[in-house]
Amino acid sequence: MSAIHLQNLVKKFGDFTALKTMDLAIADGEFMALLGPSGCGKSTTMNMIAGMEEPTSGKILFGERDMTGVPMGRRGVGFVFQNYAIFTHMSVRQNLAYGPKMRGAPKAEIDRRVGAIAEMLQLTPLLDRKADRLSVNILQRVAIGRSAIMEPAIFLLDEPLSNVDAAFRAVMRTELKQLQRQFRQTMVYVTHDQLEAMTMADRITVMDHGVLQQVGTPLEVYNDPANVFVARFIGAPGMNLLRGRPAESDRGLVVDLGPLGVTPPLPVEITAAVRGVRGEVLYGFRPEQVTLAESGRGLSMPVNFVERIGARTIIHLGDGEAAVKAVLDNDVALSVGQTAVIAPAAQSVRVFDAATGLAMKAG
Amino acid sequence: MKAVQAKPALRDEGAKLGFRLTLPAQILVLFIAVFPLLMQLYISLTDWSPLSGLGWWNAWSLWNNFANYTDLAADARFWSALKRTAIVMIICVPAEFLLGLALATLFADEFLGRRVFYSILLMPMMVVPAVAGYMFFMLFQSGGPVNDILSALSGFPVTIAWLSDPTLALIAVMIADIWQWTPLMFLILLAGLVGVPEDQIKAATLLGANSWQRFVTIVLPKMKTIIIIALAIRVIENFKIFDTLYIMTGGGPGVATETISVYIYKLTTQDLIWGYVAAIALAILIVLSIAAVFAMKRMARAREVLA
Repeated sequence: MSAIHLQNLVKKFGDFTALKTMDLAIADGEFMALLGPSGCGKSTTMNMIAGMEEPTSGKILFGERDMTGVPMGRRGVGFVFQNYAIFTHMSVRQNLAYGPKMRGAPKAEIDRRVGAIAEMLQLTPLLDRKADRLSVNILQRVAIGRSAIMEPAIFLLDEPLSNVDAAFRAVMRTELKQLQRQFRQTMVYVTHDQLEAMTMADRITVMDHGVLQQVGTPLEVYNDPANVFVARFIGAPGMNLLRGRPAESDRGLVVDLGPLGVTPPLPVEITAAVRGVRGEVLYGFRPEQVTLAESGRGLSMPVNFVERIGARTIIHLGDGEAAVKAVLDNDVALSVGQTAVIAPAAQSVRVFDAATGLAMKAG
Repeated sequence: MKAVQAKPALRDEGAKLGFRLTLPAQILVLFIAVFPLLMQLYISLTDWSPLSGLGWWNAWSLWNNFANYTDLAADARFWSALKRTAIVMIICVPAEFLLGLALATLFADEFLGRRVFYSILLMPMMVVPAVAGYMFFMLFQSGGPVNDILSALSGFPVTIAWLSDPTLALIAVMIADIWQWTPLMFLILLAGLVGVPEDQIKAATLLGANSWQRFVTIVLPKMKTIIIIALAIRVIENFKIFDTLYIMTGGGPGVATETISVYIYKLTTQDLIWGYVAAIALAILIVLSIAAVFAMKRMARAREVLA
């Protein structure tokens, strides 16, 4: 087990900068998700941790040891590939035994270790099966077992669930999380699926365009996005953002949204940061934290589309720049063409600087 | 309307229709593949030759009680030609395979000038074998470039009569074959090599396998099918080695480089005993077919494992 420190990590491919100055500390035994859309640099980061790629500049430390430049076979890194990369021409046993065998471990020891890891992963009855006819969750276990047998300092997982159908993904997530608890290993998990990151990770690193956007627990990145990108990216649907200017009113500090009117008063925690700002701001609130209100007590907007998804109903209001979504009860009696008045829950409101995109917070 | 159900009878109908539709093609195949074989078998049981003045269909009047086959068993020249052919194959095919594999491994990675070398490497395969034969005939003359190079390297005038010495002639012939057919091996093996899943190689690396271990435990097993195909193609082709060799040595000196094909050619054009030739050809066909079936079986099993 070991902590990971990335220091000023930069990766360029020719003129293209895949990763811009990344600093990240991953604690010993932590499950860290690297989350972001395609091309955000998350896989590049992982490949550099694994040693498949060398950084253009910067350092990678495992604990105190500088791993930069150490070839990938000697880093003691367990890696689970997107498609698991199981050796299909071998049996499960041969897959598990591969690492120790290549390192020249004695046969008795290999057998003992394979036996132990198979027992732990419930693979014992499958040991002599050919690895080309296994179901995905067994493949996942073999892939993890094959790496775990080497007792790696850290485990890297590259979108292992992306080839699995949606229904099965929930099963795999649970299993993976349980395995991580069992092994107590530092795990870095690359994904573009926020649900995976939210459900499994201790902390999430959100990335976009090679830039680290925010590091925090799942609730932190959901509740307190550091910037507009994180606000929009996390949550399904993402945070609503409306353009306006701060204004004083008799009820307190509000945001003047122009034709949409003014918002309810901002929560006291952020008034200090927003008061006195002259430029444009983005008024943000979670679609899930919206209630219907009486006229004059919220934002009045036309209903454009009603999306009933079973448990909840998503109401699309307004259009263009001033489009927002509200996730309401499934039996909400709104239809297209009506006007709804929505009131964001005060504690969920966040305000972002429209110019920099950064969250405006006190202190 | 009634729902149409696929009853067994209906399926039989389909099979019958299919048979009728493919019948013309099947007849064609019969003529191309099976008829010549039967004709060959028929002639091989007789003393027929074009000089007999009979049409081949009348060959039955020259029936010789399997004399061709009993002669064949006792034909020392045939057996030594067969042995020679086997020796050439046992040396050439593995040499071509190892060289091809080494080159394929080299060319699987990117390097400066890779495309140019790649094209150059494939050229020998495209040279007409007769031209290649003439080329090597010139190269191995006692005053030819091979001796010139050896002279320059050793500092002594070298005047080896390559194609007049029984052993050296055989070596020269094998060098020509390896030169011409290593590229084919290289091409097939390269296709197999780039098809090995990159992820599994990376996984092996991460698990601590060095490049030789990766090659033995991952790359070679994954290439098994294609290796068998490549070897099967070359074994069959090499067994029939003829054109380049014949132009270089004519099977000589004496019979020192006389392979099965050369022997058959001489029997056909000089001795004109076609019944006997048919018997030899049939015997070889049977041997090669057994080898091919064996290779196919291995291949099917390998494919099953790799699927």
